[in-house]
Amino acid sequence: MGFDLAFALSCAPIILGAVGTTLFVAFVSCVGAASIGFLFEMVRRMCGVAGAMSGFAIDFIRSTPVLIWLYFLYFVLPFYGIRLGSMTVGVMGLSLYYSGYLAEVFKAGIDAIPKGQPEAARALSLGRRDTVFYVIAPQMMRNIAAPLGNYFVSILKATPYLAVLAVPEMLGRAFDIASETYRYAEPLVVAGLIFLALALVISYGVKRLERRLLAGGTR
Amino acid sequence: MSLFDIWLGILKGVGTTAAVTAYGLLFAVPFALVFGVGQYLTVGVARLLVTAIIEFWRSSAVIILLFVFYYALPVFGITLSAWTVSAMVLGLNAGGYASQAVRAGLQALPSGQKEAGAALGLSRSAILLLIELPQALVAMSPTFVNTVIQLVKATALVSLVTLSDMTFRAKEIAQVEYNPVAIYTALLLAFFVVCYPIALAGRWLEARIAAPGSRAGGI
Repeated sequence: MGFDLAFALSCAPIILGAVGTTLFVAFVSCVGAASIGFLFEMVRRMCGVAGAMSGFAIDFIRSTPVLIWLYFLYFVLPFYGIRLGSMTVGVMGLSLYYSGYLAEVFKAGIDAIPKGQPEAARALSLGRRDTVFYVIAPQMMRNIAAPLGNYFVSILKATPYLAVLAVPEMLGRAFDIASETYRYAEPLVVAGLIFLALALVISYGVKRLERRLLAGGTR
Repeated sequence: MSLFDIWLGILKGVGTTAAVTAYGLLFAVPFALVFGVGQYLTVGVARLLVTAIIEFWRSSAVIILLFVFYYALPVFGITLSAWTVSAMVLGLNAGGYASQAVRAGLQALPSGQKEAGAALGLSRSAILLLIELPQALVAMSPTFVNTVIQLVKATALVSLVTLSDMTFRAKEIAQVEYNPVAIYTALLLAFFVVCYPIALAGRWLEARIAAPGSRAGGI
């Protein structure tokens, strides 16, 4: 039983039908991860116990596998009577896991802003909030845009983990086909190629964006 | 089953986790060195080929690669054990990331290093082995430590292809004992205990290399 190209081609539309789910999950998780990560980083910058705890939380998340976080949420939440759909749990898991990485992205993005900027803002007697929103944030955005794009690709490549929780994304579809037809090779190879193509295309886009931003940086 | 028993049960799998990591490094390190140097030295079609191979391993979703090689290779008449497939896929994926660190480390060296070697009449391979690689390897060592952490974390996946690592053991315990909070907390902690010291070592290394006056500091 060799590799049946015709069968592989017939799998492609069914698996591609879930590309929307995959992109949706990746996008929502990326927004969630950025929000939690930003919060983590802001708390980490505070002095005292809260800052230290946030720093530890970031390190803890970064030292543990994403698969275990998905299992953890999937099995522990119902134990406390919280019943959520598997896709919601999956998005929560990916958001939580990648928040640890995005916190580091925000840290680097803020650290890269010259100290003269907030000092100049204070010299102009801008308030703390105005300094953050009008001076720090816009410059930070340019620093984090490219790393954020790269992490979007990482999150996209982590969405097939949700197949373990029976979320109908592309790998889940591939396994559905496999269990119906007892042919694993073709649907899995097709799913792998689609993910590879998506990752390469988006990475290329991020690289172009990065080059434009870098060019804009030389003022 | 007490908390202690759950811990012991999960730790029974630490040998498998360590073995897959070590076996995976046997693939990752040579791949990173050969292809990282390859991408640095080659031009034209050869470089395109090297880049394509790196991108295949680096840009694919690792969970899909694992399933594809586990289920699809037998179709092409290649039968590998779950051990070898896991080590190869996880190792080459990590090696793909590490190869970029090798290449970037080599490219970051001042061209005077290479030129001085040439002026002394050294051959190209002698320049690479005696001058460029030793400096690049020092500069890339913190990145390499991060790759090792990613590899350890990725080994959680091998539980999906029947290897009895820590994750597999935890799921086994979960089948006989309904205590998801304790089991999955213990599993997260088990990975943290393994990965966090490696992360701290990486940070120490990074600080040491960046310190003024260190022999590698001039890079």
